[in-house]
Amino acid sequence: MQTDTDKRYAIVIDTFKCFDCKACMVACKVENNVPDGYWRNWVRHTGGLQGKRTHFQPGQCMQCESPSCVAACPVDATYKRETDGLVVIDPDKCIGCANCVSACPYGARYRNPTTRLADKCDFCMHRLKRGEIPACVETCPTQARTFGDLNDPESKVSQLLQSEKLVQIVNPMVNTKPMIYYVKGTEPADWTVQPTLPGNVHMPLDFWSKS
Amino acid sequence: MASKINSPISRRNFMKISGAAAAGAALGGRSQVLHAMAADKAAQLSDGERKIFSACDMCFNKCGIIARVDKSGNIRKLDPNPNYLKSRGMLCARGNAGVAQLYDPDRLKHPLLRQGERGEGKWRQISWDEALDLAAEKLKTIGEKYTRCGFMFMAGTDLQSTFVHRFAEVYGSYNVLSHESNCLISRNRAFLDTFGIVPIPDTLNCKYIIMPGANRFEALVTPDSMDIVTAMQNGAKLVVLDPRYTKTAALASEWHAIRPGTDMAFFLAVMHVLINEKLYDEKFVAEMTFGFEKLRDHVQQYSPQWAEQECEIAANDIVRMARELAAAAPAAMVYPGRRSSDYEDSTQIRRSYAIVNALLGNWDRTGGMMLPHKIKVGTIPYDAPFYDNNPDDRVDAERAKMMFDEEGSFKHTRDAVIEGKPYPIKGWFTYKTNPMQTGANRNKTIEMINKLDFMITVDITMSDTAWMADLVLPAPSYLEREDPVSSFQGSSACSGVTIRNPIVPAMYESRPLFDIVKALAQRLELGEYFDFTIKDYRAAQLKKLPEVAAAIEKEGVYNEPGVEPGRHKGKPFRTVSQKIELFNQRYPDKGIDPMPVYRAPKKAPSGHFRLVVGRNAYITQSSSTNNVILHQLQPENSLWIHPKAARQLGISYGDRVEVASPVGKGQLAARVTDEIRSDTVYMDSGFGALSKGLSNVYGKGASNAEIIEDYADEVSGNMAMHETFVTVKKIQAARS
Repeated sequence: MQTDTDKRYAIVIDTFKCFDCKACMVACKVENNVPDGYWRNWVRHTGGLQGKRTHFQPGQCMQCESPSCVAACPVDATYKRETDGLVVIDPDKCIGCANCVSACPYGARYRNPTTRLADKCDFCMHRLKRGEIPACVETCPTQARTFGDLNDPESKVSQLLQSEKLVQIVNPMVNTKPMIYYVKGTEPADWTVQPTLPGNVHMPLDFWSKS
Repeated sequence: MASKINSPISRRNFMKISGAAAAGAALGGRSQVLHAMAADKAAQLSDGERKIFSACDMCFNKCGIIARVDKSGNIRKLDPNPNYLKSRGMLCARGNAGVAQLYDPDRLKHPLLRQGERGEGKWRQISWDEALDLAAEKLKTIGEKYTRCGFMFMAGTDLQSTFVHRFAEVYGSYNVLSHESNCLISRNRAFLDTFGIVPIPDTLNCKYIIMPGANRFEALVTPDSMDIVTAMQNGAKLVVLDPRYTKTAALASEWHAIRPGTDMAFFLAVMHVLINEKLYDEKFVAEMTFGFEKLRDHVQQYSPQWAEQECEIAANDIVRMARELAAAAPAAMVYPGRRSSDYEDSTQIRRSYAIVNALLGNWDRTGGMMLPHKIKVGTIPYDAPFYDNNPDDRVDAERAKMMFDEEGSFKHTRDAVIEGKPYPIKGWFTYKTNPMQTGANRNKTIEMINKLDFMITVDITMSDTAWMADLVLPAPSYLEREDPVSSFQGSSACSGVTIRNPIVPAMYESRPLFDIVKALAQRLELGEYFDFTIKDYRAAQLKKLPEVAAAIEKEGVYNEPGVEPGRHKGKPFRTVSQKIELFNQRYPDKGIDPMPVYRAPKKAPSGHFRLVVGRNAYITQSSSTNNVILHQLQPENSLWIHPKAARQLGISYGDRVEVASPVGKGQLAARVTDEIRSDTVYMDSGFGALSKGLSNVYGKGASNAEIIEDYADEVSGNMAMHETFVTVKKIQAARS
């Protein structure tokens, strides 16, 4: 999988700042017409009463550099854009087989009940096109998400990558090289799902060698 | 049950780079496009969308929004206005869901006249002419028969509510209620009676915040909610006292599951430590306060060891926190909070917060209690006519020891209407407020309504209050109307001015409140008092403020950043002593303790729990729970109950339970959780609606308003909503 795209969009999330108000979820839902009962993003939490602080952790499609969903798509409808590395879905090609849904280790995809096609976060590609940042990033009361281009050393995300201890949340079975980073020490890291291929076959570790 | 958590690490570097909101700082970085847009407020985007500034109305905060309107004139989305200092350039879940309020199929569409019994839900659609003629006739006949004060008015927090007050005054009734006596008037009373003014907490620059009861990360107040997060990133410590593990408690440096109703004991003990260890600001107290010696003697009875028995917070923790507060002072505070409608002595409880702040010497200092500041806007003045047959006073007068006449007391007014004493009230006009769901003891509200000859409700949906009315008039939402200018206090860090313009035309047959009262005034020969348009009114408001008008035009808001410390220097306090009154000199004459005297909360009878109420960040009480998007985040409320208590009652997670008090009951699912004390239960407000016009929440969950008894704060007449004990029993096992 190529990673030398012109831009490498990423989000850095500081869950220290998240108080689970769900503004990001509603902003996304309105911005992207996400159908009732479905969400493209979420807030998970960990910790709690046992003498620990709770961390509320926002998440969404990780725009992986080695996306299992792209590899799982039989018709190349899901692909990684060369211009900016975004993992997107071509609705004209998608056949709604949902292989990508089960192949995602983050549970970030769903099948739209109306269109019957796969859907997920695309970092608000249409907003980026007109010079705006993703709706979830813009609306956040505490600016828990920072968005930017990792190929631009001046971008905030590049600087955060240099200055902060950041981690990625990775399924032990498949490292899809996610483009969402979390500030270390504030992350629940145990919520990835087991990615599967059709027939409920767990993906082998060498899954990536053929893609 | 106290749980001590390590202080958050300070990560200033992250702050610097991520550009989190800081005092007065431009919200740079994420607004390039919008700066370009500011030059032309209706900037056209490449895909044909236009952008229009406005202010949110999904709660009272009035945060800055930019509506994106598509080519066919529909609002596509509401984005935050990055120029808007008060809201720190953000928009919460409810703000984002505003579009669903606008396009809600449950919107009121036409004037409706009741046909069947009250609350039966049988309506006849009538024309506006018929509706206004009828309303005017009832105002006239009831006013003639029972005096003008026999018609009462109630208006919620809204930019047009000022016209309800204006109408009521020229019509001749001084029985006008706001929502506030179901919310925060005892807090205002307490701080006013201490400082002579209600100060603004400078949370952004505070280093040590004790937050009793308030839940600022869920019950959002802008910008406090965001500023406290920023303050914590800068190393501030947040201590939360709450019987419930709220999200604020979850993120706090320290959480103590205080026994409900004992906050005053905690703060009296804090005073004991501050005074006896001489940790208070001696110079400040000597120069600026009144009654210190009396307070010193008074608090000797309230040792930390004594307080531990009351609040169930260890004495050594109380001592430590008092010392930590003092060490951080003056950038240390007891956060005043907002809703204070909890106990019968809620003013006195808040007095104890105010007095600790005074001892810390944080008044008018960075990180403390700051002098409020609002930009003064003009008005179109009027001299209301005098009606000489009117009674001498409000109907609820004398029922509380020190009520605010301009807010009234919903609880006491309701009692007076039911009793018909001291004089009868037979008409009610409500605008955008829902006391059927926000005032405790719903059955009593129904009883009051049944005493009325005629009730008019103006709202955007069929709220439970509208459901009980005789005449229901549809109003446009905040996205469809022209509102007067609003001047607001953002926080210690900013004040501002904003307006609303219609982003889309008023839908259906809806008419703004202003048009309704203007039409009624004309029919009642009071037209001269409304002989203007909203545009005229706004022009009068901004006549002397051309720079404000220009900024609103350009950026959607006028900001005045940075309320500086020291602005009050050399000025007297507006109290009898002209000092901060630790000992209030007006109180003894009114039969009020001049210093807070602790009275232990009532003990729960065996098998009973204390019910406490609140909400989360995606609920604005009953005004948002029916919203089709927010409803997906929370379809109904649940009863928080501790596992120990649940086990004794045979209740498992998800079981259907009945919660009952002497005045009402409700059914909902049990949320068995150790995030609440075992002697306390909790449920969110805004559910269990009676109105079938609220299709998402009709009959869903239980209504706090139905179950809570209507106690009141003795001083202010604020509703006291945490004085109710309930029983809980299992009705049905959870579906497995």
